[in-house]
Amino acid sequence: MFAEKVIELLKEAERNPVTIDPFNDDKIRQILEEMQTLFRMNMNDANATTENKSLWTTVQVRHSALERNKRCLLAYLYSRMAKIKTLRWEFGAILPADVRELLSDDEYEWFTKYSMNLASYMRSLGQDIGYNGIDLTENLKPPKSLYIEVLCMADYGKLELEDGDVILLKKNSRHFLPTSECQTLIRQGILKQIS
Amino acid sequence: MDPYEVEFIGENRIISVIPNFSYDKIYLICGEFGPFRAGLPINVPLWLAMMLKQKQKCRIVPPDWMELDTLENIKEEEKRSRFFTKMPNEHYMVEAKLILGAASEDVPNAAEIKTIIKDIWDIRMSKLRTSMDALMKSGGGYGRLDHLTMMEINSAKPLLPSAMDYLLQIQKKAQQRVQQPSALNTSTFSQSGSSQNT
Amino acid sequence: MDLTDDNIALSEDEEEEITAEVVLKTLQSAWQNERLAPEILPHRNDMVECMLGQIQHMERNINKLPKTDLRATIHKMELSRIKFIICNYLKTRLSKIEKYCIPILNEERQRVESGTNFLTPMEYKYAQEYLLNMENHMKTVVLDKMPGNMQMFESNKMAEHPNMQSHVFLKANETINGVVLEDLAGEDEEIDLEEGSQHILQYKPIADLVKNGKVQLI
Repeated sequence: MFAEKVIELLKEAERNPVTIDPFNDDKIRQILEEMQTLFRMNMNDANATTENKSLWTTVQVRHSALERNKRCLLAYLYSRMAKIKTLRWEFGAILPADVRELLSDDEYEWFTKYSMNLASYMRSLGQDIGYNGIDLTENLKPPKSLYIEVLCMADYGKLELEDGDVILLKKNSRHFLPTSECQTLIRQGILKQIS
Repeated sequence: MDPYEVEFIGENRIISVIPNFSYDKIYLICGEFGPFRAGLPINVPLWLAMMLKQKQKCRIVPPDWMELDTLENIKEEEKRSRFFTKMPNEHYMVEAKLILGAASEDVPNAAEIKTIIKDIWDIRMSKLRTSMDALMKSGGGYGRLDHLTMMEINSAKPLLPSAMDYLLQIQKKAQQRVQQPSALNTSTFSQSGSSQNT
Repeated sequence: MDLTDDNIALSEDEEEEITAEVVLKTLQSAWQNERLAPEILPHRNDMVECMLGQIQHMERNINKLPKTDLRATIHKMELSRIKFIICNYLKTRLSKIEKYCIPILNEERQRVESGTNFLTPMEYKYAQEYLLNMENHMKTVVLDKMPGNMQMFESNKMAEHPNMQSHVFLKANETINGVVLEDLAGEDEEIDLEEGSQHILQYKPIADLVKNGKVQLI
């Protein structure tokens, strides 16, 4: 009765730092009901305390429970908001269906507003010099020209790289190639990565 | 900060390469470099050197300090002194990692050099741990750490600054209790605004 | 005289190039400080816009080169490095704006009046919109359903404040005398920061030194 449910809710929210659980509508409703009950009881007793001072402590305890419930409910929402924001930075403005399901309708609306606010800000960047804005959700990691060493497993022939270089892939030849351009050939078994 | 971000900053260091092509000067935003003449050394930023090396367009000229005798001396000095010795430059670890990683064939005695550099790093890290321990035990909120490079300082985060933050909080609370020994803590939820952006 | 004209033209060009280089270095320092400072720092929008202009100019030039030209690849690599700094810098600021939106908006209101604002107008708008959305969300989902007088969104309780006493590492760009470290026992200690020296200490006493460039957070 005294703010135990809300702790369960918070534990749920904080259990996994990375993923988000489905919005627990049910628990929230129960906690709000609990708050209404506590409040009603206090209203009754508050009128009585002028005559009966011993009730004062009870009223205080209930009031503390009420404040705790409020604070924890807001913390629950806030904790989820933080994770939802990360979704925007990772997935972009459109959420995959299975992720969307985990959000309540209200949360999805908040996500949309957050997304629009962000897009509006990003569009404004460099406005004065005729820039179209920058997408801040890209370019978050330091750029690296990643090359890997590969061994050619079969005669493949010529491979043209993005920068125009042409490499002749003969069986048993070794090369240093950009990671991004090898992936397909590695998957096909034509190239093998040497660590 | 991420180690990759520290590496990013270190990649701005200027090193020498010997290109196998010729080009006029290039005007980058971070400076002008060139002209490139095949076979003649030229100074370029480390990130550019790495890119050219990977495309097999140049040889790397190892920095002056990346040499057995120099490094042996540094290692001895580091062992001998209880302070941190001044390293050849602010980003010796980044230079070592990138150059020995992608261009070890351009560095004479690369294998031994890798070992000595690792030894130096280990000695310094061990000193750092001892210093951190001493700093915490002295209850101090302040320390001087000259000659530590950025990568080394970064390795102490978030442990050292967080520990010092917590220590300060504890000291404050202890002081409050001394000042108000009988105050009933009626506010059950005090906001503690400790936060640092990651 | 012809020679003099050429020299003037060259030096003007050189000045422009040096300026862009200096701007880039300054922006990189600003980025580093912003990453490592607990509070939001005064914006450097002038630097950001200057770099965006440079990027735009450079991109136009690159497009004139054949795609396979080595120079194009080199320039592209530099541009992606600069874009990283800009994006990470602005994102770091947004994160702080979101986290500390209530105190930031309160303080910024006063700063705007004296022309010493820390946020750009667009960041300010973002902050306001963000707080409004958060408040509305909390009202709709829980606050409006709470009993009686508990429905208020109490800004002072919701506010999160940056920890100005968190410990940071710094390097002194010049010699600074008389930095006062407050002791809990009330025994203040005064220290000097020699040029080039490095320290770990509380952010609060050196906050202004970060903002005026006398120290660099590392």
